[in-house]
Amino acid sequence: MLSRTPPSRRTILKQSAAGFGLLGLRSLLAAEGGAPNPLAPKAPMFPPRARRVIFLFMHGGPSSIDTFDPKPRLIADNGKPVPFKRGLTFGEDGVKGLMKSPWEFRQHGQSGIPVSELFPHVATCVDDLCVVRSMVGDGVDHGAALLQLHTGVFSFRRPSMGSWTLYGLGTENQNLPGFITIKPTLGHGGQNNWSSSFLPGEYQGTPIGSSDMKIEEIEKEPMPWLIPKGLTAENQRFELDMIQKMNRRHAERNAHDADLEARIGAMELAFRMQVEAPEAFDMAKETEATKQLYGLDSETTRDFGWQCLLARRLSERGVRFVQCSHSYKWDQHTELFKLHTKNAAEVDKPIAGLLKDLKARGLLRDTLVIWGGEFGRTPWAQGADGRDHNPYGYTLWMAGGGTKPGSIYGATDEFGYHAVENRMHLHDLHATVLALLGIDHLKLTYRFAGRDFRLTDVAGTVAQGVFA
Amino acid sequence: MVFLAAPLLAQNGDPEFFEKNVRPVFAKNCYGCHGPNRQSAGLNFSTGPGSDGSRLLEVVSYAADLKMPPAGKLSEAEIAALKTWVDAGAVWPKQAVTAASAGTGGKQITAADRQYWAFQPVKDPAPPAGKAEAWAKNPLDRFILAKLEEKHLTPAKPAGKLTLLRRVTYDLTGLPPTPEEIAAFEADNSPTAFARVVDQLLAKPQYGEHWGRHWLDVARFADSTGMDEDHVYPNAWRYRDYVTNAFNNDLPFNRFVMEQIAGDLLPGQNAEEKQRGIVATGFLALGPKPLAQQDRIQMIYDVVDEQIDTTSKAFLGLTVACARCHDHKFDPILTRDYYALAGIFASTEAFRNLGRPGSVSYIYNAPLDPEAANRYQSHRWRMFGKQLEMEEALAEDWARESALQSPRIAEWLIAAKNATKGGSQDKDAVKWRHWLESADEKARGSYLKKWFEATPDTIAAVAQEYQAAYVAAAAKWESQMAGWRNRYATEMAQDRDLPARPKPNAEDAPFFAAAGFNGGPLELHDSDRVAVLRAEWTALQKSLGPEPPMAAAVTDSVPVDQHIFLHGDHHSEGAAVAKTFPYVLAGESQTQPAKGSGRLELAQWLASAENPLTARVIVNRVWQWHFGEGLMRTPNNWGKMGDTPANPELLDYLTKRFIESGWSIKALHRLILLSNTYQMSAEASPGAKEADPLNRLNSRFNRLRMSVEEVRDSVLSLSGNLDATLGGALVPAKGKKLDTDDLKRRTLYIPVRRGSVPAVLSNFDFGDATTSSEGRARTNVAPQALFVMNSRFVIERSGDFAKRLLDDAGLSDAQRIERAYLMALTRRPAADETDSALSYLASLEAKLPGDGRRLAAWQSLCHVLISTNEFLYLD
Repeated sequence: MLSRTPPSRRTILKQSAAGFGLLGLRSLLAAEGGAPNPLAPKAPMFPPRARRVIFLFMHGGPSSIDTFDPKPRLIADNGKPVPFKRGLTFGEDGVKGLMKSPWEFRQHGQSGIPVSELFPHVATCVDDLCVVRSMVGDGVDHGAALLQLHTGVFSFRRPSMGSWTLYGLGTENQNLPGFITIKPTLGHGGQNNWSSSFLPGEYQGTPIGSSDMKIEEIEKEPMPWLIPKGLTAENQRFELDMIQKMNRRHAERNAHDADLEARIGAMELAFRMQVEAPEAFDMAKETEATKQLYGLDSETTRDFGWQCLLARRLSERGVRFVQCSHSYKWDQHTELFKLHTKNAAEVDKPIAGLLKDLKARGLLRDTLVIWGGEFGRTPWAQGADGRDHNPYGYTLWMAGGGTKPGSIYGATDEFGYHAVENRMHLHDLHATVLALLGIDHLKLTYRFAGRDFRLTDVAGTVAQGVFA
Repeated sequence: MVFLAAPLLAQNGDPEFFEKNVRPVFAKNCYGCHGPNRQSAGLNFSTGPGSDGSRLLEVVSYAADLKMPPAGKLSEAEIAALKTWVDAGAVWPKQAVTAASAGTGGKQITAADRQYWAFQPVKDPAPPAGKAEAWAKNPLDRFILAKLEEKHLTPAKPAGKLTLLRRVTYDLTGLPPTPEEIAAFEADNSPTAFARVVDQLLAKPQYGEHWGRHWLDVARFADSTGMDEDHVYPNAWRYRDYVTNAFNNDLPFNRFVMEQIAGDLLPGQNAEEKQRGIVATGFLALGPKPLAQQDRIQMIYDVVDEQIDTTSKAFLGLTVACARCHDHKFDPILTRDYYALAGIFASTEAFRNLGRPGSVSYIYNAPLDPEAANRYQSHRWRMFGKQLEMEEALAEDWARESALQSPRIAEWLIAAKNATKGGSQDKDAVKWRHWLESADEKARGSYLKKWFEATPDTIAAVAQEYQAAYVAAAAKWESQMAGWRNRYATEMAQDRDLPARPKPNAEDAPFFAAAGFNGGPLELHDSDRVAVLRAEWTALQKSLGPEPPMAAAVTDSVPVDQHIFLHGDHHSEGAAVAKTFPYVLAGESQTQPAKGSGRLELAQWLASAENPLTARVIVNRVWQWHFGEGLMRTPNNWGKMGDTPANPELLDYLTKRFIESGWSIKALHRLILLSNTYQMSAEASPGAKEADPLNRLNSRFNRLRMSVEEVRDSVLSLSGNLDATLGGALVPAKGKKLDTDDLKRRTLYIPVRRGSVPAVLSNFDFGDATTSSEGRARTNVAPQALFVMNSRFVIERSGDFAKRLLDDAGLSDAQRIERAYLMALTRRPAADETDSALSYLASLEAKLPGDGRRLAAWQSLCHVLISTNEFLYLD
């Protein structure tokens, strides 16, 4: 059978230039009366603050009261019975008294925003953060909470916020997918969290591996069928030329049907993606200093560092929406101290590295970075040393993309259980993210089954307070 | 008679303002503690304000000591609404008013609503006369022709013979015609040649596989619950096979409808038919389910909602689920219609058990043979009972032995220490010494370290330490085991998953775990009593046998007295509703079923010839699956926001014939396929494309991109490796992922996890298998091209295809090329195409290294054919 020699990039580039030239494929299609490209960049509805999004998703639910929302009252009342009514809670087993944070908080930067010992590196970036301490969701189990965070609802399958973003804005680089999710979890909604649902399939997220895969495994073929497996690059081009010869003859016989022309274009685009996309995933050309900045030199931080560095590479190549997932780590019903320590150590340096790198490259200005989990954790202890899920008041932070640097938005009650000030429901978060991207969430609609749908369903208020 | 909306009693205050602005505030923010289920401080804001309202305003504006709701202050708008209402006297509407205004939103069904075209009885229009009547092969064509002539258009010329064969073979079986089938059809010049092909194709089991797949899309079929936890439905395949068989056997469609809604309640002629009925209700059972949802009522009603949505779209083409929170915005579907159906499905069981808090709910599976299932279940209970009995005996033995032995641990540890120095030969001491000395490095370096390091001076204290640790751990263990036995009994009684038997904690109590178990000196050996019980238990385990066949199905549960949920919120109940069907279709005077869930009555109503929608909806779908587009182009939405058919007379004509034929899908196929309309070319006649760009009038055939099933199955078929096995479960071996690249079965059989649809499916517009599908999209994106270019599947199958060609030693290369064209494209190559292919083979072979170059070049040529648009598009 055929040899498995991988093509050299240069050959492919050269060959692909012979196929369709450097003329933009889509403009060529348009010239030939092909279908309009649904992924072409679209003008925002109003001047945007952010042009792209990187979402750092902490799957499992990091505890806000142990990271970015200190609660002195819990120190004072440590061990005392829970003095308020508990909402619908995930596990009713092992509910104990209030539990203070096992970590110290210190104020950092010019802004003096308190960060716990868990995030020493992120603490050095605190003047770039806009810490939202008043997040609210409706799902008390992971599945519901992930779905609502990603799609706005959990009772139905709906398009992901990345899909809505792509639908609203298109994407800048036609040789890469516009919505990429790196190492996503296949649990807790899995694909539903990056699906385009009823939006056209072009807007679905493209997963890069999954949470259970190792980097080496993913690097072999980051996206399905990206790497040629049969012929050498030259011969593959030779083969494609034969296909396209037959296709053109067929198209001529069939009055240059737009669908047939579009497929001719899709074949060329695929051929070019083989070159462009692997280049985006190839970190060999990054300097040692950059790799160190992201923690690629340490086993602890390498995985999430790789994700963050890849996120930067994809963002700078024009990918509209990138998600990194630290999955599924943060669900400390037990062993809060041991495992939150470990989890934070894995992501702290890579996150700080990403923020610093984006800033140094001038990308942070118009790249919205979001950090957060699907919910926070309870101020009471579960069992000896755990915390249960708390969707009623938790922290998420944003950086760049026109958010107010070095600021705190909203507040929880003195126990850190309920958001009480400037509550930001997930619908509000979605409305706000779209607003930062220059989209009015009320106007970004899609008609399906006889009705206009939005990311924010029938709710959502833009939180002007987080704008710079 | 059922509940009818009482007139509004707007006496004091404005009930509409209350229902719109005030009640929702209470429902959303207060019912959790002061609602129908809990009345903290004696307050119930679902029945009344509890005071004159001034205290209420004080509390919600956070002006008083007491700040409510505790979860955060109400919005300004909410507080303002409460204030307006309090200022107007805080009038609480009487229950009747509540039910009327909030329950139905006040929308009334008008005469115009009833006269909507889709709700009219099916008519029987006469086929119109036309000028070019000679063109018409059957009456269907006359309806098409009449519309074309209105626009001064002519139908496209007939498709070529082989084009038609390719079209109909894919259309009915999803596979390409074989060279033998091509030869037979070419040789048959009789006028009935095409009819004969249609009959042959309809008789193939591959027909049911292909057409069953169409229905499975409508039924949002998948193999897992999706949503949060994505649990596998282990018996989903039975429903899939049921659908395949229903099409193959031409099960009358009205019966098909009834079985899917209430097959378990239909009288079956025999055991097989009875089981078929149970399996058929997989239609209701196999939807997405949020199993981890902790608000179980929400979960149940989300499933009910999903069932209403799928049922109403699939059979009625209506979006009834829009009326969950309010009357339908566009169609005359009222909230009471929604909850009338909700009452039926809420009285139907989809869960076996709602699970413990913090855990998932269990899906219901129905036994196909209830007697065998009962025997199996009682056997299991005997087995579990025996295990518990044995565990109790073990616990007694443990307690007794532990009391005797634990106090002597120190003594033995000292003796063992001395024994190593050639001292005591006491039997117990020797046993301990032997155990200690056979300990591995890890044990010696950790929990036994102190003993090994102890000197004659320290051994007494060290031994005491070990004994104390053992006693403490043993006490913990006993209570852990007691807790486990309790939990085991509870879970067993409630038919949930049983907790695993605890293991001693080797991390926290290593000495206890090592000395007390697995060959340790204090290991408890079975007493005679325990030995007998264990033997009995083991025998019961061995004789249990496999679980009798189960189906993903539903069953009737306790009938629910369904109330309207105001604004869709189950915390806030409105008026009671009877179990009826949408009033605009079924009329105002309906009788509530005397007993049961009402599911059987629903099935009968849906499948009735008088129902104006069910037959029309399926006839339109069948048209859509033949032509790519329906006569009505929003097949799941026949409401006002949906499409209007371009040829309503034809739709009714076909529907009438369909009902007359006994709801036979195969008869409908024949009627459509033997028309000239079906047999037209995809090439438009002059002016047709400009006058009718969307081809709404069917002046030509629609060129269609293959579905993912057609792509993948064709490639397998060309490779000669298609495994034609029908039906059954396709479960990967334990710990193995199913590699779709290696799978030789038809694509229909690839298990679909809603949480991780295989990439090949999702990239080729398979859809989400979560809501009823209106039809597949036919996008044309680069990842699909990458699949064709670079997937191992396509490359390897191209190699198999090439090998088949080369293995046929009697052929010249030119003949091989002809055969390849016939197989892949259902046509012979033109002379210059053969030349071009030959020269391609020669050039590529020259570029390739090694012995395998000839096969490799042919593999590439086969890959080329599979990659062409001509292969991918059906004309």
